[in-house]
Amino acid sequence: MLSGMDTALGEITLVLFTTLAPSGVVAFILMGLPLLRGDLPVETRRRIDQFLSIPLVTSMVGLVASATHLGNPANALYVFLGVGRSPLSTEVFCAVVFLALAGVYWLYSFSQRPRTGLQRAWMALAMVAGVVFVTSVAFAYSAETIVSWYTVYVPLNLWLNALVGGPLLAVVGLRVARYRPVEDRLGRALVAVSIAALAANLVSFGLQSAGLPRIENSLLSASDLVPYYGLMIAVFGVLALAGIGVDARVLYARRSGGALRLTVGRAAAASALALAGIFVMRFAFYMMHMTVGLGV
Amino acid sequence: MTQYAFHFDGSRCTGCKTCEFACKDYYDLDTDVQYRKVYECTGGETSKDENGYVSTTCFAYYVSMSCNHCDDPACAKVCPTGAMHKDSDTGLVSVDADKCVGCGYCHMACPYNAPKVDREKGHSVKCDGCAERVAQGEQPICVRACPARALDFGPVEEMSKMGERGNIAPLPESTYTNPNLYIKPSKDAKPAGSKDGKVANPLEVM
Repeated sequence: MLSGMDTALGEITLVLFTTLAPSGVVAFILMGLPLLRGDLPVETRRRIDQFLSIPLVTSMVGLVASATHLGNPANALYVFLGVGRSPLSTEVFCAVVFLALAGVYWLYSFSQRPRTGLQRAWMALAMVAGVVFVTSVAFAYSAETIVSWYTVYVPLNLWLNALVGGPLLAVVGLRVARYRPVEDRLGRALVAVSIAALAANLVSFGLQSAGLPRIENSLLSASDLVPYYGLMIAVFGVLALAGIGVDARVLYARRSGGALRLTVGRAAAASALALAGIFVMRFAFYMMHMTVGLGV
Repeated sequence: MTQYAFHFDGSRCTGCKTCEFACKDYYDLDTDVQYRKVYECTGGETSKDENGYVSTTCFAYYVSMSCNHCDDPACAKVCPTGAMHKDSDTGLVSVDADKCVGCGYCHMACPYNAPKVDREKGHSVKCDGCAERVAQGEQPICVRACPARALDFGPVEEMSKMGERGNIAPLPESTYTNPNLYIKPSKDAKPAGSKDGKVANPLEVM
């Protein structure tokens, strides 16, 4: 019997890319927010700048992984010929622009006397490029003939995934950079964003799931391709909630005078749990692929 | 420019699959790759009423199809490199192996299941309408091989006189990509986009 398993396993590197990159970009943007302030102490700024490497490497690992699924990476430069026409070219182009802007920002932060004004403007630019990049990933498979992907839920879910995983990864980065507010109000705010996104994401996945049996071609229906979609959504919910819980337990206990501290290990575990949950849903996304006619 | 097209006569096809294998033989294709496929479309049910009278709505028919060299090919539209392209003289859609990155997006987007990434070659492969044979004034090998003369190939003006554009299931509605496949349906054929029938040999054609 046909199943979506083969598609998802065949595109496993893309599953990894679309799990890591969007969350990495959102984490980069969130870590950059304190840097937009003019009154940040030089040392604090330098530490946050340095540890922007955490979300950057996360995004980069995804991008490199996605290149390995190509049959002939030697021809990769031709991909830029399709910018504007092919959504995939546009995505790659946006990725390169974001990583170039963010990468140069990061390198510049190592200069002896970086100019704060320039850094703030450059960061703002990189943030905008990040938002555009995540949006381009969300619409990378927007083709009318791929009926199971040509729905409002696909870009929505990708963005919500990024907003679930991104804040938790930003907590890791800011904690490693020893930025104090992340252990208090800022940390709680980030966790609150994540949980709000998770709630919206679960609703969106639920609505999408309900519509799958009606997406049908001459071979099967989309729900046949992801027979355990409901279960996968539940696994995602449990993993992401566990991740959020790991951070929230400490952050909210501290507010009420608890002695627990947000350790790096704890923050990293929280982020890993959420990303694992997102991975499950990205896997399900690729399982779901089918065309309006004769393709699964 | 002459846009070339295929014609398929469903009232003649017996589902023998000679077209499929002539193509595989001619291009020396491996077990996992086939450019032309014969889809078996079946549906309906047989029931017995209280008097023991048996009636049936069952139907089965064949559709032989490769690439339809569409006017608006979904594969070429999404191809990031432009490797998947439509020839400006013949309208035939083919892959430029020197540009293709093998990302598989053409395979994902095509509603006719035509292109596929050959992992060993590292690029997409598909029916090119036997462009070389056509350039020498010959017909594609599948057309030549069909023992029932159910397939034909030629300028779209001639093919379109013999049938309607991609109008039967399991094909989707032709409006998505405007395929250059003109069909004379068999008696049992269901209209394009109909969900009454299903492809009965999925493992063979997918």
